[in-house]
Amino acid sequence: MPLPAKAFQLWLHRVAPSASTADLCRISGIKRTTFAQQLVRGKVAETTLVSISRALGLSPLAELASFDHYVELAAPPQPPTPAELVSQVATMDLLRAVISRSSPAYGGYGDQGSSMTPALSPAPHATSVRNWVDAIDDGELRHRVSAATGVAPQNYSAQLTANRLSPELAVATARAAGVGFTGGLVATGLITEAEAGWTPGAKQAALDALSDGELSSLAGERLQALGKSLRRHEQEQAQTEKIWENLG
Amino acid sequence: MGEPGMIAILQWGTLVTCTVVLLLRVPDAIRGRNRAVFWILALATLCSLLSVTGPYEAIDGALGGWNLTHLLLRFLVFAAVLLVGLRVATGLEDERGYRFIAGPAGRWALALSAVVVAGTFFLMDTRGSSSGLLGIADKGGPNAALAPFYAAAGRTYPAFVSLALLPALLATARSQLPRLVRAGALLTCLGALATAFTVPASFAPEDWFLAQQTVNYLAVVGYVLGLGLFWASGLVAKKSGNTRATFRKNET
Repeated sequence: MPLPAKAFQLWLHRVAPSASTADLCRISGIKRTTFAQQLVRGKVAETTLVSISRALGLSPLAELASFDHYVELAAPPQPPTPAELVSQVATMDLLRAVISRSSPAYGGYGDQGSSMTPALSPAPHATSVRNWVDAIDDGELRHRVSAATGVAPQNYSAQLTANRLSPELAVATARAAGVGFTGGLVATGLITEAEAGWTPGAKQAALDALSDGELSSLAGERLQALGKSLRRHEQEQAQTEKIWENLG
Repeated sequence: MGEPGMIAILQWGTLVTCTVVLLLRVPDAIRGRNRAVFWILALATLCSLLSVTGPYEAIDGALGGWNLTHLLLRFLVFAAVLLVGLRVATGLEDERGYRFIAGPAGRWALALSAVVVAGTFFLMDTRGSSSGLLGIADKGGPNAALAPFYAAAGRTYPAFVSLALLPALLATARSQLPRLVRAGALLTCLGALATAFTVPASFAPEDWFLAQQTVNYLAVVGYVLGLGLFWASGLVAKKSGNTRATFRKNET
């Protein structure tokens, strides 16, 4: 659930007592119409709060925690598990790691994490939400989230497929899995890894800690999923072309 | 506003809708793109023109004033529906629907509808131009009994084709395809549903005349706007060219 406008106004008054709406929109890059609409509807998106916090030089995580819904975020953050960290490595970076570990004959360096390997791209990536949930899922996670939040499993799955998850659901998912709250917020792109307090090399370290076998299986799973989604796109593309060819 | 006023709005509204979509489609037809769709729209426009009282009476007067125009209109509708059915079934890759329409079932449905329409028409006393054959049923004698059957037979074949297309249209409307394509399928689907409803509607009591006519015109408007949207969706996609599945789209 988005933030209540009233609480948001109070927060604004606290952090930027003298700033006008126009100023806030200008420094945070939020469209004025979007901002006004959120205030009128009484529901302010978490992304709005995050953008304004960033613009004012405040920690988005700490400011989010000042709202009743997100009071849990105020506790000292539990660091992400290695599996969560690896889930936030983009598929192409995983594949690059596979090649990088291979023998020089195949373009690799034969070691783990050569200085020649380009740095990992920052989270989120194209399938980061689903990969994150898969990384913390014990098999019953979706049922527990659904029972705790009242969101139907198929709606939850649809969000994962679209690589989206509302911040509220991301926190609920982390709670149901018993992991730190930052993982989901990073995976959905609400806050950056640095804002979540993740140490700069954490993702790379977690990736390096994977054995060759683990890395290959993981890369294989990701490729399989990518292939499936590309094939679905291609099929839809073919269907659409056929419609235009005959009815367009 | 009285009932005649509402009917006139329905008739003219349908005609204007068809004409606008037809005109939008002219440049592509000249370029040779999907002329079949253009001819479908042209037939639909002609049919809606013949449903308007003024043009109907003028044309029927020229043909002798015994409502032959109405019988011709039935056959024009059959032709338009056959073309739409084949085209939509091909476009949606609906093999089952295509077999229904082009196969023996479809041929029998077309032949039976045509025979019953022509038979009942010639059994009725049809003198005196009357658009929609509305004045004919009041003449008494066999006319009153035959008129609903004539109307129903004229709508059976369109309903048959519409029912054959419905599953594929529904599936497309609920798919993950581009939004405009789905919207086009949804409108066509509404047109098909309305077309299927016109058969029971032709036996509706006279008090329901306005509702009955609304269903008839909704059927045409649904199909025509659906085709228009399919066309528009292709146009929009061609401009932005963002429909290809690529690694980049999945990995950014």
